[in-house]
Amino acid sequence: MAVVLLPSLLATEAGGRGSFELDVDTVGDALRALPVAPLLFDEGGELRRLVNVYVDGTDVRFGDGLATRLADTATVRVVGAVAGG
Amino acid sequence: MAVTLPIGTRKGLFLLRGDESRRRWEVDGPVLTGWSVYHAIVDPRSGALCACTNNWVYGASFHRSDDGGGETWERTEQLGLPEGGDLKLNATWHVEPGRDSELWLGGDPGVLFRSEDGGKTWELNRGLFDHPTRDRWQPGAGGMCCHSVQVVDSSLYVAISAAGAFRSEDGGETWTPINSNVAADFMPEKYPEVGQCVHKLLAHSEDAGRLWQQNHCGVYRSDNRGDSWERLDGNGLPSGFGFPLALDPSDPDVAFVIPEESAENRVTSHGRLGVYRTADGGSTWQLWSNGLPDRAWAAVLREGFASDAEGVYFGTQSGSVWAARRAEGEWFEAARDLPPILSVEAAAG
Repeated sequence: MAVVLLPSLLATEAGGRGSFELDVDTVGDALRALPVAPLLFDEGGELRRLVNVYVDGTDVRFGDGLATRLADTATVRVVGAVAGG
Repeated sequence: MAVTLPIGTRKGLFLLRGDESRRRWEVDGPVLTGWSVYHAIVDPRSGALCACTNNWVYGASFHRSDDGGGETWERTEQLGLPEGGDLKLNATWHVEPGRDSELWLGGDPGVLFRSEDGGKTWELNRGLFDHPTRDRWQPGAGGMCCHSVQVVDSSLYVAISAAGAFRSEDGGETWTPINSNVAADFMPEKYPEVGQCVHKLLAHSEDAGRLWQQNHCGVYRSDNRGDSWERLDGNGLPSGFGFPLALDPSDPDVAFVIPEESAENRVTSHGRLGVYRTADGGSTWQLWSNGLPDRAWAAVLREGFASDAEGVYFGTQSGSVWAARRAEGEWFEAARDLPPILSVEAAAG
């Protein structure tokens, strides 16, 4: 089972839950299964521009993006972009 | 009667509770931390707190709380623009109770939504979204925001910066531009059909024909549901430029504005924090500043001004909330050092 970790604002929006264990194949499947999926994706189904996703410490943009496959032991971390100081 | 002011800020929602004197206040909050609350109300029908919530990473949303204190919130389940289109929902700006149980929600880019389930799900208003003049709308400095939604009798009004004001007589199916005589000094054509930069529009609840607007290019009043407008600046106003507007629910000839120097210098006029009041439909305006700091370069945003039967209230971008009972005429600072204030509303209790 992959583990998805959420930042505090998203955890609040998920009913106070910051960690989800999910039996899914890809990053996209994992994010879409979350109760906060509408905050991660825009109405066109695109990941919002300032939402960063890391799988075992690697930004998925440098891999296969949402199609990045998840091992059973994978940790997916959602992080809002940090910019501007 | 006691009053509750939902104060939307750049960093969450605060609730100010004032007693009958409007001099003693308690500050609760913040709640909805992490969200910029562009506008929040207490729905008078249910007592629910309704908030237009925006986050620079996670987008535009809407939250509702039914516990009376904002401790628990439900986020909207469905809110957005049609898939496959060029437009995306950039922000939610204004929530307004409608008829029966309906809620209206204005947003950027110049869009309006309607909910029949208290804000769980929202249906896009296609009449405004597909309006034939949309290609002549343009965003103001705050985006192309639908910031004013008013429901009076059988009429619906919206105002969008910078598209102008529109009226619907068929529940939102179709919308008629109502911008006659309203200037758009920044356009090649000074009086276009659409494209005016309305900063705030309010309809008087007791006089169905009476509308007021604070525009980028002046203060205006209409006596015929927006079919024509009269420009009212001068006559005591230091500037026609400003954002907030408030009315007296018991007297349609009374209005309040907080002018700013100009579009290029968006601070209160003459280095003073001053509310200007008219009691004669805008023919004359008087400065009302008793108790307000006389050396101040403040700014009050378009949603930052509210009134009820007894008082007038506003919040500044520098985090102060000011309140006055109309009968006494003196302003008291209800709170200070809040985050930048985006909206103020007033509710009984």
